[in-house]
Amino acid sequence: MTARLRQSPTLAILAGLWVLLVAGIALLSPGILTASTLTTILQFSSILALVSLGQALVILAGGAGIDLSVGGIVSLASVLAMMAVSAGLPATLLPLACLGIGLALGLGNGLLVTRLRILPLIATLATFYVFSGSAVALTGGAAQSGVPAAFTPWGRGALAGIPLPFLTLALPLFLVAGVVISATSWGRWLVAMGDNERSARLVGIPVDRARLIVYGLSGLASGAAAFVSLAWLGSARPNIGQNLELTSLTAVLLGGVSIFGGRGGVAGVLAAVLLLVTLQTALLRLNINTVWQVGIVGALLVAVLVADALTTRRR
Amino acid sequence: MTRLLGGREATLAAACLVAALVFAAASPVFLTPGNLLTVLRNSTELLLAALGMTLLLAMGAIDVSIGMAMGLAAIVVGQLLMAGIDPALAGIAGPLAGAALGLVAGAVVAFGKIPAIVATLGLLGVYRAGIFLTLGGAWLSGIPTGLTDLVATPVLGVPPAIVLIGLAYLAVFVLLRRTPFGPHLLAVGNSDEKARLSGIAVTRIRLMTFVVAGALAGLAATFYIATYRNVSMTIGATLPLEAIAAAVLGGTSILGGRCTLVGTVLGVILIRLMQNGLLLVGVPSLWQPVVTGAMLLIVLGLEAGAGSEGLRRLVRRPA
Repeated sequence: MTARLRQSPTLAILAGLWVLLVAGIALLSPGILTASTLTTILQFSSILALVSLGQALVILAGGAGIDLSVGGIVSLASVLAMMAVSAGLPATLLPLACLGIGLALGLGNGLLVTRLRILPLIATLATFYVFSGSAVALTGGAAQSGVPAAFTPWGRGALAGIPLPFLTLALPLFLVAGVVISATSWGRWLVAMGDNERSARLVGIPVDRARLIVYGLSGLASGAAAFVSLAWLGSARPNIGQNLELTSLTAVLLGGVSIFGGRGGVAGVLAAVLLLVTLQTALLRLNINTVWQVGIVGALLVAVLVADALTTRRR
Repeated sequence: MTRLLGGREATLAAACLVAALVFAAASPVFLTPGNLLTVLRNSTELLLAALGMTLLLAMGAIDVSIGMAMGLAAIVVGQLLMAGIDPALAGIAGPLAGAALGLVAGAVVAFGKIPAIVATLGLLGVYRAGIFLTLGGAWLSGIPTGLTDLVATPVLGVPPAIVLIGLAYLAVFVLLRRTPFGPHLLAVGNSDEKARLSGIAVTRIRLMTFVVAGALAGLAATFYIATYRNVSMTIGATLPLEAIAAAVLGGTSILGGRCTLVGTVLGVILIRLMQNGLLLVGVPSLWQPVVTGAMLLIVLGLEAGAGSEGLRRLVRRPA
């Protein structure tokens, strides 16, 4: 109940910021405000939305949870899946390959965290370099083309102005996650162990198994994002996941999830993703150097954290 | 405790020796004085960055923005040199710029009371944009040789780089062992709550440690400019990983409360030996972050599991 009360102001603030942003764009460059821009924003949002969903679950489940390797998983899963197809894997299995590789890498993170008890930030920082480094080293930095043409209509298509990857993959997954978190016991476990791990263990919640699954799900979501990037761009880019750890963290925290776990929901995260991508698209359309995006997102992350620390009582 | 650390450092030294023997057998170039000198020269920045990271980890913090902080400080030093400032003054500007950036990170972490990893990741984004904007997408090059000459002139037959790095380590050692700062830092690393209750000025310790680590990254920037006389867009990209890996390989606890400077030095040497050796046996340099990351995970895994128990835990059903 309190979670819901806290959730709605976040959504209201994000919606307000979004309106302000759109109004600002309308003042600066009214020509940008078209239906096709909205389609572009949603198209660009799909990858970030999927990755942020996984990141949100990991952070929500607490235990100093964080997944810095998400971008590395997106890059490595798309590169490995394309290499597998080039090596003779049936093209129809490309989506499954992306998902399987993502899941495996995510479970790897989960094993490091739950079985070897390595701090999540160190474990996933190390796997970030291993995954993203492997993606670049395996390809020599070159994009791997040759995504089967059967996938691009889905990756580039839209229904009523809403891109298919967003409509058929990102949005449904957010709905499922929202329902799971608020209406199933497993979802309540996640929030409970994020809120107070000791009590969660005492009442018999299988904390380690749930956490292992959460890291696996984050990898799975990154694998799905990898497939979206393949179907959209038509090639596997070894640097496609660049900066996703920073942007997804910003989206998750901007969306009202507490960095200490146990507080927040996924609706705010989706709203924050849309806000961030609208900002990035606006900068792109206003011909402002893309590197500003990284700086602005980084500054936003720090600002959100400081604001959160100043407004909420620390437990 | 001391014996444990001693064992760790002996193990690490043995690992360096084994790596050196393997690479010497695989490549005739590896053991030549010229190559070993290259390994040493390639280690200067990492030795300083890893020293700062050792302090941060011992305090229970981390700074993933130090690579970018080194980049920004390097730009400051480079542009001062190009503006014709006295090389010695430009060289001092490096640690000063680094200390200022460390103060920013420290203030965000200490006053905002937010996890260092997320705060410094945000700063990393800001600094990266800063580097890109000041460089304007090109390299900073054509830096005069003034600082290079200064750093290359031996003092009593010893390269000044070695003297300065030695002094930095000595200063940190004194700070840790001969002033209250050391025990306070380790106490904060063990438990900031208990440290606060026992009257330690936790916020000030946090700030000070970030400033020292930043100054060390800035000193690394001075050496970077002296050695390479250019700044590229990718400067410092893998420095945080390498610094963390060196400290952890050396035996510094990522949970805070324990550190060893000798271990960090050996960790740096092992990392650079591995990178150099793998390059000589034909492994492309693109694989370096993969190897370093894997080394970090293996050591942490071994530490966590202490051998067979850890392997058992890895395959057992979770609780």
